[in-house]
Amino acid sequence: MISPQTSFGNALQTQWDWRAAGNFMFGGSGGALIFMAAIASYPAAPSPVVGLAALVFVGVGLFLVWLEIGRPWRFLHVFFHPQTSWMTREASVSLLLFATTLTGVLFQIPVLIVVAGLSGFLFLYCQGRILRASKGIPAWREPSVVPLMMITGLVEGTAILFILLIFSNGEQAWLMYVLMGLLLGRLAGWQYYRRRLAADKAPRGALKVLDGINKPQVILGNALPLLLLAVATALPELMKPLALLACILGTASGWLMKFIIVARAAKVQGYALGKLKKGRPDIKPPVRREKDKFVFSRD
Amino acid sequence: MHAEVEPVVKKVSTYCYQCVNGPDLLTVETVDGVATKVEPNFDLKGEHPADGKVCVKPFGLVQKLYNPHRIKRPMKRTNPKKGRNEDPGWVEISWEEALDIVAGKMNATRAKGIMDENGNPRLAFTTGGAATPFKYMGSFPALLFAWGPFDQSLGAGGTVKCYHTEHMFGELWHRAFTILPDTPRCEYLISFGSNIDASGGVTGVRRHADARKRGMKRIQFEPHLSVTGANATEWIPIKTKTDNAVLFSMLHVLLHETPIDKLDVPFLKNRTASPYLVGPNGFYLRDPETKKPLMWDNKSNRATPYDQAHGDPALTGRFTVTNAIEVGADDETWRYDSVEADTGLEKTKRLVSDKTPEWAADISEVPAETIRRIANEYLAHAHIGETEEVDGRVLPFRPVATVLGKSVNNGWGAYECVWAHTMMQVLVGALEVSGGMLGSTTHVAGDTDWERSLTVEAGEDGFMTHTFTPTDKEGWDANPFTRHAHNSLTPMGGNKMGAQLFGSTTLAWLRLQGRAAESWPKPNPPDVWFVYKCNPAISHSETDKMGDVMAGFPFTAAFAYTLDESNHFADVVMPEATDLESDQLHRIGGGHYFENHWESEGWALRQAVIEPLHEAKDFSWIANELAKRTGLLEAYNGAINAGVCGIPLQTEGYDFSLDVTREHSQDEIWNAVSKAASYDLTAGREILDLDWFRKNGFKTRPYSRLNWYLYHKLEDLGLRFELPYQERYYRMGRQLANRLHETGVHWWDKQLEEYEPLPEFKDLNKYWDEIIERNHPVKATDYPFWLLTGRSMQYAWGSNVGIQLMKEVADNVYGHDGIIMNAGKAGEMGIENGDLIEVTSPVNSTRGYARLRQGVRPDVVVMIAQFGQWKMPFAKDLKMPGLNALVPMNVDSLDGGGSSIDGTKVYVTRIGAGL
Amino acid sequence: MTRYVMIADLNRCVGCQTCTAACKHTNATPPGVQWRKVLDVEWGEYPEVERLFIPVGCQHCADPPCMHVCPSTATGQREDGIVTIDYDLCIGCSYCTVACPYQARYKVDKPEFAYGDTPTETEAKRFDERTMGVAQKCTFCSDRVDAGVEKGLTPGIDPEATPSCVNACIADALSFGDIEDEDSNVSELLAENTWFQMHAELGTEPGFYYLWDKELPQELQGDMQGD
Repeated sequence: MISPQTSFGNALQTQWDWRAAGNFMFGGSGGALIFMAAIASYPAAPSPVVGLAALVFVGVGLFLVWLEIGRPWRFLHVFFHPQTSWMTREASVSLLLFATTLTGVLFQIPVLIVVAGLSGFLFLYCQGRILRASKGIPAWREPSVVPLMMITGLVEGTAILFILLIFSNGEQAWLMYVLMGLLLGRLAGWQYYRRRLAADKAPRGALKVLDGINKPQVILGNALPLLLLAVATALPELMKPLALLACILGTASGWLMKFIIVARAAKVQGYALGKLKKGRPDIKPPVRREKDKFVFSRD
Repeated sequence: MHAEVEPVVKKVSTYCYQCVNGPDLLTVETVDGVATKVEPNFDLKGEHPADGKVCVKPFGLVQKLYNPHRIKRPMKRTNPKKGRNEDPGWVEISWEEALDIVAGKMNATRAKGIMDENGNPRLAFTTGGAATPFKYMGSFPALLFAWGPFDQSLGAGGTVKCYHTEHMFGELWHRAFTILPDTPRCEYLISFGSNIDASGGVTGVRRHADARKRGMKRIQFEPHLSVTGANATEWIPIKTKTDNAVLFSMLHVLLHETPIDKLDVPFLKNRTASPYLVGPNGFYLRDPETKKPLMWDNKSNRATPYDQAHGDPALTGRFTVTNAIEVGADDETWRYDSVEADTGLEKTKRLVSDKTPEWAADISEVPAETIRRIANEYLAHAHIGETEEVDGRVLPFRPVATVLGKSVNNGWGAYECVWAHTMMQVLVGALEVSGGMLGSTTHVAGDTDWERSLTVEAGEDGFMTHTFTPTDKEGWDANPFTRHAHNSLTPMGGNKMGAQLFGSTTLAWLRLQGRAAESWPKPNPPDVWFVYKCNPAISHSETDKMGDVMAGFPFTAAFAYTLDESNHFADVVMPEATDLESDQLHRIGGGHYFENHWESEGWALRQAVIEPLHEAKDFSWIANELAKRTGLLEAYNGAINAGVCGIPLQTEGYDFSLDVTREHSQDEIWNAVSKAASYDLTAGREILDLDWFRKNGFKTRPYSRLNWYLYHKLEDLGLRFELPYQERYYRMGRQLANRLHETGVHWWDKQLEEYEPLPEFKDLNKYWDEIIERNHPVKATDYPFWLLTGRSMQYAWGSNVGIQLMKEVADNVYGHDGIIMNAGKAGEMGIENGDLIEVTSPVNSTRGYARLRQGVRPDVVVMIAQFGQWKMPFAKDLKMPGLNALVPMNVDSLDGGGSSIDGTKVYVTRIGAGL
Repeated sequence: MTRYVMIADLNRCVGCQTCTAACKHTNATPPGVQWRKVLDVEWGEYPEVERLFIPVGCQHCADPPCMHVCPSTATGQREDGIVTIDYDLCIGCSYCTVACPYQARYKVDKPEFAYGDTPTETEAKRFDERTMGVAQKCTFCSDRVDAGVEKGLTPGIDPEATPSCVNACIADALSFGDIEDEDSNVSELLAENTWFQMHAELGTEPGFYYLWDKELPQELQGDMQGD
């Protein structure tokens, strides 16, 4: 029997390069940052610095995507397909995120911060779903990519928040425990994600690339920050430098992981033979977008 | 905003004849006078075997028109020093000046005499593409005819890159310049490296696809998994140059492991020379009175002349014959009162008696059981005894065939292979019958290349007529007429119009290099050399040396599309109108080349889709201008009238002839040809002019499938296929040996050995190693790989390596961007896919990127053909190596027919990582 | 109802790329862009090797991932199943490209020509600025199909109503037609032969069928090689 997974021609996709990866790297961090900041400051609003930092991250990510698209001056068309496109949804959420965060932190309006935090979380979720909907890239369409993208975003967002708080002397030790939990979660998510890919016969090239960063991911990206944070909780006098280092490692490793997943492990599905059948096939009617509500089609 | 003007869209019918499978018809769309796209010509659906489609190559023609690298106007050389590293110093000149220069040289040459002091023509003309360039040359051939003798021996690759041995023997045996299976009916096809799915043109590809769908089994013996092997029922990676062993062992299975009554006994007895008795000196025993060959009649138990009423000729066995003669070379005659004689088939049996599949397995690395199984499957599929009615005539139905590829067809061993695979057909009666193996086109046996059956006439000894170049004392010409001495050395080429094309082109170049025929004077270079649509500087062998020779030619006029490696040595280059810019009427259909037998025939027009760009000129215009300037106008017009443009312009039935005294435009010429062609085609019912053909593209009439076969023609005339025993060939060889020795020529002795009445098996790998060591200071064992080449449908014969579209689409087919080698072997050598490797033969080395595949023998590397450019724009930047630079040229490697193989032994080294 | 599909008979295809070239002519695609092309692949280990030619391109899925992900609604689908791109809506984000499991989509950001920066006359004539920076792919020659249908011709039977790759195929390996019509050429081919759809497990319901009859030996699974 021909295995449907047996494939060839698994080239690396080149349509989404470092610029697209940048959106996942920084946008994810930013969305999570405002989410964590909303929790950390609840019921108040976080400082404008934190909110603006989140927007800078999200903004840089979106700017990088804008650099990548072929028709940048048509960017408004990105909002045309909320019915099924996670990209439209991400873009829409980003508008909400910008509006609520900006007004929330500038005018210190807690209810807007709640909305901002939720939209940050949603933004993160959209990013995961964007990848998952990419059926052409086995390393992306794997469902566990969604929690992985979200949890690494949360690691980065928490770590960045912690760094910002350290510098503003707004110490929140409990964040260290949250971060430790998230790091553990990310470690588990990373391993689970790779196991699932291998089990689903993802392209060997993709697995190889991911394996290539496994050691630094596990040791430098997760285990070492965990250890540093553990030591930091035990030795309060060294907490700041140790935690700072842990946060930097946790964030950088998240960015590296996302860069690798988006720009390096993104081997295409490739071509394959399929399972042989005989007889006239069952014919499925075209799904057709015209059945979507709110169609913006010009025809 | 400006108002949109509706574009003017036109569709123009024309033909593509870039390879011998043409012409195939196509249409070209033009928009506002710009050619935009190529499409099939669907008007031909149902008439053309592939429904009016064209292959990938003509899709390059649009880009060919607008290629910025085109030579736009005539140019002359200003640097008198010629050489690969010399800048010719091209300067653009007017056509007037270019034609004056060329005609001036022609006139000066003519004044010195048409022949030089060696008796060789002072004017030489070289083209390539298996003569397909003639389908683009308009009326230029008439100018060459008007000129008188000219030398065509400076080949661009012929006899190395053609089906040379099949041409020679195929025509002798069954009027088969090339052979083909009757694919629409064939059930079982054994192919020794025939890459038909890449080389068979549109019709070949379509017919084989249909046949596969119908269930035809195709067994592919080939050292690498070619395009054709890919779609074969079975790919058998045979060791290079051992096809003769496998073929002989298959004959062994049929002749020694199969009861003779399982073979086609009536065919063998009545349509072959199997029963002819062979005397002790190797010639047929003949009746002393009539000199007719004798057969043994089992019924009367005595020998009788082959054509006398007889009951039952003996196919095999040894018989005692009384009162017979044997006639050898130069009429040497032996008279016998009583003599022992074998039948031809008995001799054949003996030839292969020890050639068992087990024996062949050791040589070829094909398991004995595989060989035996295939031979028996072949026999089982032959349907011996069955018949089919074709257009009212009952023919044997034998749907099996064996075909050979190019590399099996030339050089040492080719005779064995061509003979053995034809014998495979003969034993089961599958030659020139429905379903079996057929021939196509004649160039040796006759000049009517569009209708070979016209050449079937009763000749001597119960065989078809066949005229060899004379080797008898009176007839033999001791003075080489051409630089390759076809008239003196290679009599199998015959003495018809095309005879020159069957001489050894390798020998011509070797002689010009002073490396052959030491007892003869070194030939002079031609005073005037025309080069058109070919590139001998890189398409022949040992190409480094080719340029040096060409640099020594005093005057070379090249018709040129872009600069290339050959016109780099020219004195004048002239841009001719390309495929889509010029006119020519040509025959279509009938029974042309390889798989191109149609059930219709007629004429089609190749016409200018747009006006010629730049200053490119139609070939007929160029011919006119040169004819005028050389004072040959009358003879030139006369040649056109006589039929050089495809059909005589004057017969008993019609007269469309041109006034020979004045110049006629190309339109006038083709208008007359159009009328003659249509008159001939419709038996005078319709006279269609050029405008009609411009509008309609083509005119056809039905062509009976019966014309595909020759069996019934031979049956009607009571003739036999000249197989298995080759008495005439043997005699001719002996006579040739006498002539050469009488004139002190001994350097051709090895080649003379090939004139055997039955080809003895040769261990070609051993043979090749010996040739290497004899000719080069190397050890053969240092060259463990065979370097072979493979056909590219995208490029072959298209002069299109400079066309970006061809490059783009060809790269989708493996091997077009590097050197194919076995992945496992490469792994052992530390070579990874894409690594830069160097391939070295005893004469040269070249580099390319390793392309690793499983579908190639570990002891073989493959370079797809058509590459190795160092001058042609675009092509030179592809950095694709060519095999030709590595293939040695020497007299040793030439076989009796003057051909040599298109391959060499090499070693491979890794240079470094790829790009 | 009409649902257009294409069929590639792998027992017929010889990988000659005539379809590739014909497509490039018809659609005037720039260098390197091949809406239709034929893969040349092999698997196994010497001497047990299979080499196969597989025409690929947009599969005009009934449930096309490219359409769902498209944020601009540039990618659409007609009632007859042909997946379309509106060049004027597309923002060139390439999301569709990564969503397509068939590598069918291309994007060219700036004019590219066969011989460098200057277009040939054909290229200049046929250059369409709208295709710059947006997604492009096989259209099943929908304009030909529509024009042909308007003239009362049958797609897949009459060349004027048939995609150019199918028209050009010299091995008769490619077929096109209406699979909803039980008597159509494509329905008959599928009824009479064994076939597969590529990546059917992804739920895309491709409108492209491959006729083939050989099954891969178990031990060769996962061991195909290609570029």
